[in-house]
Amino acid sequence: MKKYFSSLGSDIPSSIVVFLVAIPLCLGIAVASGLNEFSGIIGGIVGGIIVGMISGSQLSVSGPAAGLTAIVAAAVLKLPAVEAFFLAVVIAGVIQVIMGFLKMGIIGDYIPNSVIKGMLAAIGIILILKQIPHLVGYDADFEGDEAFVQLTGENTFSSLVNSLNHLTPLACLIGIVGILILIVYETKWVKQQKIFQLLSGPLLVVIIGVLINSLLTENENVLIAKNAHLVNIPVAANANEFFSFFKFPDWKYLTNANVWITAITLALVASLETLLGIEAVDKLDTVKRVTPPNRELMAQGAGNMVSGFLGGLPLTSVIVRSSANVNAGAKTKMSTIFHGFLILICVAFVPNLLNLIPKAALAAILVFTGYKLAKISLFNEYYKKGWDQFMPFVITIIAIVFTDLLKGVIIGIITGLFFIIRSNFRTAIFYIQDGNNHLVRLRKDVSFFIKPILKSKLESIPANSNLIIDLSKAEFIDKDVMETINDFSKHAHLKNIHVSVNKSTYNQSHLQEDPIVISPDDMAH
Amino acid sequence: MINPYEKLLLENKAWATEQVQNDPEFFKRLSHLQTPQFLWIGCSDSRVPADKITGTQPGEIFVHRNIANMVVHTDLNLLSVLEYAVVYLKVSHVIVCGHYGCGGVKAAMGNHSLGIINKWLRNIKDIYRMHKDEVDAFTNEEDRTNKLVELNVMEQVMNLAKTSIIQKSWKTDQHPHLHGWVYGLDNGIIKPVCEMEAGSHIDPLYEYDNL
Repeated sequence: MKKYFSSLGSDIPSSIVVFLVAIPLCLGIAVASGLNEFSGIIGGIVGGIIVGMISGSQLSVSGPAAGLTAIVAAAVLKLPAVEAFFLAVVIAGVIQVIMGFLKMGIIGDYIPNSVIKGMLAAIGIILILKQIPHLVGYDADFEGDEAFVQLTGENTFSSLVNSLNHLTPLACLIGIVGILILIVYETKWVKQQKIFQLLSGPLLVVIIGVLINSLLTENENVLIAKNAHLVNIPVAANANEFFSFFKFPDWKYLTNANVWITAITLALVASLETLLGIEAVDKLDTVKRVTPPNRELMAQGAGNMVSGFLGGLPLTSVIVRSSANVNAGAKTKMSTIFHGFLILICVAFVPNLLNLIPKAALAAILVFTGYKLAKISLFNEYYKKGWDQFMPFVITIIAIVFTDLLKGVIIGIITGLFFIIRSNFRTAIFYIQDGNNHLVRLRKDVSFFIKPILKSKLESIPANSNLIIDLSKAEFIDKDVMETINDFSKHAHLKNIHVSVNKSTYNQSHLQEDPIVISPDDMAH
Repeated sequence: MINPYEKLLLENKAWATEQVQNDPEFFKRLSHLQTPQFLWIGCSDSRVPADKITGTQPGEIFVHRNIANMVVHTDLNLLSVLEYAVVYLKVSHVIVCGHYGCGGVKAAMGNHSLGIINKWLRNIKDIYRMHKDEVDAFTNEEDRTNKLVELNVMEQVMNLAKTSIIQKSWKTDQHPHLHGWVYGLDNGIIKPVCEMEAGSHIDPLYEYDNL
């Protein structure tokens, strides 16, 4: 408990940044999902407070996820009423809690590191590409979109090009000033100054953004920022109207098959995205804390149950907000919990204040977060690790940028597996030549798949030579592979190749051999 | 049929290549310097390879081997190795490792002349004479040999402690730690039989006071 209070100095400023970044994302994702903006806000509050409190992760931030918009939008159209959809969210939460008890969180451990790092870099690139239009004042796409093909019919790149035709000078100014502030904040000199530690870079960007916007829009002579470029939270005239924003699940839809299909789909996809999210955030954590995955599934399940009850969007652990959290200097989960409370307080009491924030300022923060996720040095690091690591990394990035998070990760995992198996093959067989003498050594597990490689290697050994086939380093050799060796030993004399097989007497898999095989002892005579 | 010595060259080439595959910097790193922590004084017996049985890699163990792992104070070869290891490489441990069933010890207990090696083995005969009751208490010949193997290792550790090289290093640098071990040919297990920490005291007769 003590650690939570001692790091409040870092956690409160970072919670403000995450809160500011979260607001437009919650609203954007809600609209894209075909629901009321308020559903997004509820999702944000529950993701911060409920999931934050139960989760074992210190840095992960949960909330409405861009990765679920397609599923939610389709479900909302298919189901008879939004009340049926919220019921599906509650059921999805129950399923997630059960998944947690069944310890299904272990799935996350099977995702290769190169794929997770690739996913982070891809999200960084997407953030930069998707936020640049917002940065220059082109807000056609919804905030927080992560898919290549946008709901507007444009894709990431055409939107980027289009935005150049819709430049808003004021938004550009706010965006560029914002990015400059963040760059200056990265310098050593600023990091050493106490005063800048109290006022974090992203927070300053928002304050300056608000100031520039309100000062310049008052002056009639400069180009005016349109309202669309400001954050837009629904404002209630009175308490009654405020509560009318809430929608609740209706239990009469419990027998509707589509409710259950939606619930299962949501539970599976949200769990997968959450596991990816916490794996990713654990990688970003400077002190490398490890999030317990099964507890995370239960926390997410509880969050979805509450969010569904209150008429909120389904939740996952979200990487963009989490990495903004890390970058803003968060140390413990107090940051994500506070961000939930801040959304609650501001929406209930001072929504007008938030509506002063220009989106370009928030875009500046997200573009910079994107740059930190997709640093050139990360590409360099993976390039140096060799082909086996670099290819899954790059393919994951490309796949995610051009499809979406989930499809991209699946493509990345398949690529990763291919390279793991491939490098296993290549190290399983070792060949060297010294003059007329040749050595073929089998190592580790020699599976059936090695057979063609071994066969062609053996056949390539020139006539009139000596060959040692060393099996002593192999823990397991497939029967077919042994047969290949035995066959070769039998006909090798036709090419005048003298074969000796060095085997372990006690390894069962080495014993399926033919009497013709000569052991090294015979060789010594 | 592959020529036996050519097989060594082939296996060497394979080893070097695999080493580089696993660690491209391996030879680059080791060609510059060695910083072993251990000096191993073992038997020449081909069944007791120092690095294999201890899982040590090239660069980790400095080795001297002779028949029956002896520390003889007139042996210029051993003394050079000892001084270089202790003074220049600053090893923190010196290990004398014998092995059960040692042919040298067996020969020293018998009366068969083997030529020049008689001189070398006479050192072990002296140890046998000093501990005759203890050794002959065993009825089985194998047990007698093995007892003398252990006593021999302890005596050689004591011989190390008698050298001015060790005594001086103990005084100035508080190292090395001396160990007497015996390796079992039948099970591959090393049994520690004695040890002397830096600064241990021996019979005052052997302690120098002007180092």
